[in-house]
Amino acid sequence: MKKTVAILLVLALVCTGIFAQGSSESSSTVKIGALIRNLNEQFVKDYADNLRKLAADQGVELNLQDAQGDVARQLDQLNTLITQGYKYFVIIPQDTSATEQMAQQIKAAGGGAAFSNIQPSVDALKVGKNFYLASSPELVAGQYQAQIVDEYFTKYPEKAPGKVLNILYLEGQLGHPAQISREAGFIDTLKSLGYTVNFIAKDTADWSPDKAQEKMDTWLAAHQGKFNLVVAQNDGMALGAVESLITNGLVDNDPSDGTILSYPVIGIDATADALNSMDQNKLYATVLQDSVGQSSTAFELAYAMATKGTATGMTAWGIAPAKTVISEAPANDPAVIGQCYLVPFKPVTKENYKELM
Amino acid sequence: MEIKNVLKGSKKVASQYTTWVTFVGLLLLLSILTKGTALRWNSIRNLLIAESVRSFAALGVGMIIITKGIDLSIGYVVCLTASVAASFAQNPDYSSAIYAGHTFPLIIPILAAVAAGGLFGLFNGYLVAYGKLPPFIATLGSMSIAKGLQLIYTKAAVVGSLNQNFKNISQGSVGPIPNLIIYVVIAALVVYVLLKHTRQGTHFYAIGGNAQAARVSGINVERDLMMVYFYAGLLYGTAGTLLASRLGLANSLTANGMELDAIAAVTVGGVSQNGGVGSVGGMMVGVFTMGLINYGMSFLGVDSYYQQLVKGFIIIIAVYFDMKKYARRA
Repeated sequence: MKKTVAILLVLALVCTGIFAQGSSESSSTVKIGALIRNLNEQFVKDYADNLRKLAADQGVELNLQDAQGDVARQLDQLNTLITQGYKYFVIIPQDTSATEQMAQQIKAAGGGAAFSNIQPSVDALKVGKNFYLASSPELVAGQYQAQIVDEYFTKYPEKAPGKVLNILYLEGQLGHPAQISREAGFIDTLKSLGYTVNFIAKDTADWSPDKAQEKMDTWLAAHQGKFNLVVAQNDGMALGAVESLITNGLVDNDPSDGTILSYPVIGIDATADALNSMDQNKLYATVLQDSVGQSSTAFELAYAMATKGTATGMTAWGIAPAKTVISEAPANDPAVIGQCYLVPFKPVTKENYKELM
Repeated sequence: MEIKNVLKGSKKVASQYTTWVTFVGLLLLLSILTKGTALRWNSIRNLLIAESVRSFAALGVGMIIITKGIDLSIGYVVCLTASVAASFAQNPDYSSAIYAGHTFPLIIPILAAVAAGGLFGLFNGYLVAYGKLPPFIATLGSMSIAKGLQLIYTKAAVVGSLNQNFKNISQGSVGPIPNLIIYVVIAALVVYVLLKHTRQGTHFYAIGGNAQAARVSGINVERDLMMVYFYAGLLYGTAGTLLASRLGLANSLTANGMELDAIAAVTVGGVSQNGGVGSVGGMMVGVFTMGLINYGMSFLGVDSYYQQLVKGFIIIIAVYFDMKKYARRA
């Protein structure tokens, strides 16, 4: 019987050989490795899909590895790809703190990398000129959310008497760089605009729509009438909150303020679902995190390194390297600012959401 | 009777032998599929490093499963101990350090993490042995407690910027042999001696085989059960230290899901969920078989969705045959 086990195990691996046939090697083609933190997230998946498309268009042999949310697995995958002769990488790191180690290993192999979505550390970019940031600073997403909030309550000051915001706030996975920076950008901007910011309730829903909905159901029971705004750190959670408001009857059916809900709900990402929801006057607004822009910029940098040996100073996907420092690492250090390609976030409101649909 | 026992014995030998054959077969197959590149020393070294921390978790839960227990708290306990270790190894000039401005001798993060693991082990062991809670439920609870403590202790932030001495614990090597591999060999030897050459080790097998009979024959079942969870806890604490040192950080996602990897690995390695059966050799082969499958698929560029699928089937098949093999014993 154990023999059967053995045979099945062997079969499993043979199958993997068949699944993998597409990536058989040939030495003349350009090879780029992609280390992607977690394909279960919509943004990351869109990013990866665009990478695959770009690679196919350019005839690049792309080896894309999914770390499934595990730093250790990502380091293992990097080791594996380096052993296979990959030198140039597009990386969505699982964690900022591991990026320096990754950069050092890539440098030792004589290569380079472009980091997106999760910021590399300043030290990672200092490892060498061939390490780049191709990403959108997360603070900015929070700042745009704050601006959207400001516009809404400037139009309807009676909904926030005394510029006091009582917020139900859904956070992403705790400790995630985006969770920390989006929150900081949001709060700081609102305060600088003269608002008093009260969090009636603030907790993580792990980026997940159903967890957000559950959390909101509880909050609505506990804090009915005590809040005037719902903000989520991504669209998935924002849509969970929208569902919860609807099922709990917090709907005024008056779309004149941009939403049929009694309170505006704001997300980040501008996913297709979110745009649909805006189209139905449910979700009030979101912020575009540009998966195509980030992945295209990162890919062009990696491709330039693989074909020309360097990408220093080049314009990638129409974006020139940054010249002035911003407050968010790693683009806050003048020594590496020329290695930072800042892909813009974009506020998505009633005025412009149709352009993205 | 005699013949039956002999047959049973030979079956056990055969089962472990087959695990090895499977492992070697996989190695050969992978080397054919990759035209030899997967069997270079660099690749094997990568594989050994990748599986080293999981080996500690597997040795711990392997012993527990031998006593017919289970431990679901591994992932978060390792996450907690990694965070504890990392917090005492941060560069003192790092402004977000948990103990900013303080430098600790290298022994402190190691001791703190191992102690934290040991305490959790005692807690689990107490609940199972004296509280009479089913191990599944007890460790499900402690899993959540460990996660909560980790978030409270780190305020959900990444514990990064670790000093180089601490990172060298895992990242260093002796000649061409990475330190991590040496630690795994030592740990495996210690657990081997414990299981095969101490009275307590034989008690673990007896308890797993038949707790009632073990008690009647004078074994202090409660104390031994408590100790097996304690030993496992020490191993998790070590795993946490090594993982933090290897990654140069710890965060709330560190080691998540490690319990399932470890349980799957020892099961594939012939440790029976029915208790009383299993060996250190089997556990290690199990770990490296699962590792090889992971590594091979990653090497071949198999889509991660298929990787999960293949892994899932392998676990189910292994447990199915395990259950069938020992069904008659009950």
